[in-house]
Amino acid sequence: MKPETSTPRSADQAPKTERRGFLGVAAAGLAGILLAPGVRLIEVAQAASPGTDSAGASAKVRWGMLIDTNQCKPGCTACVTGCRTENGLPENPGPTDTQYIRKIEIKDVKSGRQHSLPMMCQHCAEPPCVDVCPTGASFKRADGIVLVDKHICIGCRYCMMACPYKARSFVHEPVSNQKPDVPRGMGTVESCTMCVHKVDKGESPACMTACAAAGFNAIVFGDLNDPDSDISKRVAQYATRQLREDLHLDTGVRYQGL
Amino acid sequence: MKHPLLLLLGLLIGGAVQAADPPASASRVPQPVVEPARSGQCVEPPELMRRNHMDYLKHQRDDTMREGVRGAKYSLKACISCHASQTTNSVAAAKTNFCISCHSFAAVKVDCFECHATQPTQNASSFYPLVHPSGVTAELSRQVRQQTVPAPAPTPN
Repeated sequence: MKPETSTPRSADQAPKTERRGFLGVAAAGLAGILLAPGVRLIEVAQAASPGTDSAGASAKVRWGMLIDTNQCKPGCTACVTGCRTENGLPENPGPTDTQYIRKIEIKDVKSGRQHSLPMMCQHCAEPPCVDVCPTGASFKRADGIVLVDKHICIGCRYCMMACPYKARSFVHEPVSNQKPDVPRGMGTVESCTMCVHKVDKGESPACMTACAAAGFNAIVFGDLNDPDSDISKRVAQYATRQLREDLHLDTGVRYQGL
Repeated sequence: MKHPLLLLLGLLIGGAVQAADPPASASRVPQPVVEPARSGQCVEPPELMRRNHMDYLKHQRDDTMREGVRGAKYSLKACISCHASQTTNSVAAAKTNFCISCHSFAAVKVDCFECHATQPTQNASSFYPLVHPSGVTAELSRQVRQQTVPAPAPTPN
């Protein structure tokens, strides 16, 4: 049998609205049940850490960097030195010593055009290092910064193999005289932290500061999610590239002029 | 004949109980050397800190590391800046320093300082890149701090 289509609209309006009303009430009730514990958990979490300087990493923020390779001067290593000083890394590194940031020179073989650019952890939105980590030591913060939790890192170095940017280093030797803000020790993997200890204080990473102090301003740091930030405006205005876009990692570090 | 024997037994037991009393044994057991803290009040009473400091630190380390919550109550950096020794400027450089003296007394290995700095944040020193905590320059710098040697004038930049 066909449902009666000739029924006047007003006749079935009443039950429909009733049902809709019931669904609405049910949804509100469910939302109340589901949301209330979540809200409370957040409140508890915030109340558990009174007097803190920062409320913690926010998922609304996506920290990123834009590197203008046209401004980056070949042979200049101000960012590398600034990084080493800030993070307490050895000043004259050996071949197996840690590097958070390094300078590379690349050349297009056909045109002969040369670029100089800094390479570091690209702080991917889909980080392969996090995918492969067997202990969960490699992780991404809510604000997009990729870090190693050295408390649970077992030094297996899978993340080093997984990273397409060769961004991570293994600490082979015992370390002493660390910076209080940058704990690092033998047997763990480490990489650029985007100077997370400074970022949490509202400051900029050391490489950016060093580059600006050297007068090049090739590195811009900021929130990629905030349309009014300097970095977002520049990313919107100029052609920028992520390295190895084909891997779809959605990197937080972008390059202009490549 | 029975009475003196009982008396002797009583004396012997009494002596044994006396020997087991804490005041009598305290002098024979080495106690950890606890260097006084630099200033102020600790974040919790000492009884709580002795028993629970590792839990406080472990809980907060995850909050700080994973969630980015900075400056909360139980911070290893704050421990170190208050408890660093006046002589070595560290909590773990010598056997008598704050963390090490108790941990060696309790025979508990402390792993924190495999990675974490044992010294408070250093202010800009004229020696800065040369100073190593165990070296000769460090000893000199310590003497300068204690003002047994006149401090060199800072180099103009």
